[in-house]
Amino acid sequence: MIQVGNKIPESILTYIPYDPELKDACGIPQPLNTDEDWKDKKVVLFGLPGAFTPTCSLQHLPEYAQRYKEFKDKGVDLIVCLSTTDAFVMDAWGRSLGVKDKVLMVADGNGDFVKDTGLVLDLSAKRMGAIRSQRFAMVIDHLKVTYLGVEPGGGLTVSGASAVLAHL
Amino acid sequence: MAQIQIGDTIPIVNLKYCPYDPKLANACGIPQVLSTESFKGKKVVLFGVPGAFTPTCNNSHLPEFHEKFSDLANKGVDTVVCLSTADAFVMDAWGKWTKVNDKIIMAADGNGEFIQKTGLSQDLTKMGMGAVRSKRFAMVIDDLKVVYIGVESAPGVTVSGATAVLAKL
Repeated sequence: MIQVGNKIPESILTYIPYDPELKDACGIPQPLNTDEDWKDKKVVLFGLPGAFTPTCSLQHLPEYAQRYKEFKDKGVDLIVCLSTTDAFVMDAWGRSLGVKDKVLMVADGNGDFVKDTGLVLDLSAKRMGAIRSQRFAMVIDHLKVTYLGVEPGGGLTVSGASAVLAHL
Repeated sequence: MAQIQIGDTIPIVNLKYCPYDPKLANACGIPQVLSTESFKGKKVVLFGVPGAFTPTCNNSHLPEFHEKFSDLANKGVDTVVCLSTADAFVMDAWGKWTKVNDKIIMAADGNGEFIQKTGLSQDLTKMGMGAVRSKRFAMVIDDLKVVYIGVESAPGVTVSGATAVLAKL
């Protein structure tokens, strides 16, 4: 598993840029190259097993959106939410929770990022497929990991917004 | 895996879905097992889509089945099922978004077992959508036997749309 001090692996993710005029229409996924887009940024990245799941929808994502200003005040340029679903689902999920442009909803559709960082989770037994993300949060400063919290159980502790804010 | 044909029996697979409950309109449902064995003795229209919330699925494929639900029921269809390899939470959320209510069962083939066993799987890695996705298709299943199958060979909805299915019923 990736450690504090490591550089994150270069990954191509996809996302649909936030557009307030796009209400019910589906947006068009765009590529995001982590090495290029995050090389001069402080990024808070949190990953979760699935969009629209109870823990993710009710706690994990909303807390980051609500505390957006606190992250900004601590010098964070970008808050990113990642799962192994596709950009359409991530976009729809972001819209359903009204996160607007506060949290970038990013798809690791092929699971490259979670596999290359050792953060993959096999949920075949739950019929959710073999390539899912663990629930984690990471602070990435100029592509280097400066904090990593991976949930040991089903709850939300080290990967929540409070835990990350305490390390910034 | 060769693609399933008319006359073949569908594989028995456990899918997952969140039963429709109007009280859970704004909450996450609880996934339940949906065995394809429960289609025994029924006439089922099952259509598969590459992804939830995608433009074609969202704007035409699913809504058309929803709109024509009573036409399908009038032709003796007991159950209409929409399937993708997303999980039951995503399928449930998509169903709520498009307000299909209890008309269409939003089923998740999360491990891709049904589409792999029927030869209806496609690899969308190049689009950043993973290696196990469903082709866009529709089938009519009568007492577990396939009596119609239409698989799209290009983007768009023709042989897998509600109109094409109705014409075969």
